[in-house]
Amino acid sequence: MSDLWGVLTEHLPEFSSGFFVTFRLVAIAFVIAMVVGTLIAALRVAPLRWLNLVGATYVEIFRNIPLLVLLFIAFAGLRRAGIPISPWVAGTASLGLYTAAYIAEALRSGVFSVGSGQIDAALSLGLTYPKALRRIVLPQAFRSVIPALGSLIIAMIKNSAIVGASLLALPDLLKEARQVQSQTFETNEVFFWAAVGYMLLTVSATLIFRYLESRFEIKR
Amino acid sequence: METRSRWHLAAIAALVLAALTLFACGGDDEEDSGDEPAAAAEEFAADTTPGELQEAGTMTIGVKFDVPPFGLNNPQSGEVEGFDVDLGNYIADRLGVEAEFVEANSDNRIPLLVDGSIDLILSTMTITEERDQEIDFSEPYYVANGDILIPEGSDIAGIDDLNGQTVCTALGSTYQETIEEEAPDADLRLVDRYSECLELIQTGAIDAVSTDNVILTGMVIQDDTLSLLGEDFTTEPYGVGIPDGDTEMKEFVDESVAEFIDDGTWQVTYDEWVGQFLEEDQQQGPPDITLEEALELFPL
Repeated sequence: MSDLWGVLTEHLPEFSSGFFVTFRLVAIAFVIAMVVGTLIAALRVAPLRWLNLVGATYVEIFRNIPLLVLLFIAFAGLRRAGIPISPWVAGTASLGLYTAAYIAEALRSGVFSVGSGQIDAALSLGLTYPKALRRIVLPQAFRSVIPALGSLIIAMIKNSAIVGASLLALPDLLKEARQVQSQTFETNEVFFWAAVGYMLLTVSATLIFRYLESRFEIKR
Repeated sequence: METRSRWHLAAIAALVLAALTLFACGGDDEEDSGDEPAAAAEEFAADTTPGELQEAGTMTIGVKFDVPPFGLNNPQSGEVEGFDVDLGNYIADRLGVEAEFVEANSDNRIPLLVDGSIDLILSTMTITEERDQEIDFSEPYYVANGDILIPEGSDIAGIDDLNGQTVCTALGSTYQETIEEEAPDADLRLVDRYSECLELIQTGAIDAVSTDNVILTGMVIQDDTLSLLGEDFTTEPYGVGIPDGDTEMKEFVDESVAEFIDDGTWQVTYDEWVGQFLEEDQQQGPPDITLEEALELFPL
């Protein structure tokens, strides 16, 4: 057991730098996923057919391609096509856009949980469609899908390990852990601490979403 | 209950055996030269590793699948080929067993050997003290040198120039530490396979690849817009990886390597995989370094 502790203290610089790379990756991807996911959800529930189609196309593309394939296309593919995308941009964008497809679907289900009578009422009161969405529908939709969003964000944090393991070779928590493992061969100890690192992020996300859930709970 | 689970075990064992036989049959068609008939092989006691392998009739060897001249899974033939593969077949022939090759890269080869998934490592592995703590090494069978691969028009002229540049090497290779020491400001990209470094340098995502010159030569053969600096900043003797403390196996592999060199097979194999791609003055002979000397090159 002393060995377990020793691995962490001896390789703290590697573990912590990996942790912060993963944290940054996940934080940026989260922002992209929420913004794009909300936009796509809005397209999917818009009253115009071709807007629905654009939203649906986005969701089907990003939900049906494995993240690893997406990363290859976004990095090696674009670079071969002459677009000098950096690993950071390719990594955060792929993870963010991929997660956005799931978030859009969750939000869409949330929007449908808001009675269509409310939209009709808002529109008849003279609100424009975007305004009705922003003021009436989305706040309620968000509230009802907070638990689902929590699960998606946890999945995204774990998916970030795929970004580091791919061709992008970002020095994330998993990569740093594997580097330490390849030097010390302390396999169990190293991956124990890597797991703890990921759990720090996922458990924090769980706690934040629990708080949001109780904060915006609809008292019925 | 007892007989039932026995029966299950037997059934599983039979299935595994059948699968292994099928696999072995698929893999051994190319068995080159086969200079010694199996019957001529030395018999080993059943309680030693060589004896167990003879009993089983096959041995599993971990090689690289993406490092031409040493271990390449040739997409045209579907066979693994290269210097390491030929040496592996040579060792298996001496034991009178079939060699079965599986992929083992810089990061996973030692765990695979330690957990018994493979019987030997022949994966362009440099002998180091750190690795010697986990496994045993044979006497060196090849000596590579550390070098740097650059794309056309690069300004990099030496290892110091790697500072501030993005450099690719394999996770778990000796270069990870060498570069951290020699060029501390280099931005290291650690990948699982050297083919990924090739992809990265071809797309311009990195500035240089650093590893053994023979591996880099393989990349130049695939893409002649790339070139080697010819730095030779480290000496990297390759050893066969043997399970830790297995003296019978180590003795057998050491004898095999010595015979491989002494009977001229080394030279033939070298010419076929490496020599023909190099100028006369870049060619080398068999290693003139012992395991002890090799271990001193990469101390703890």
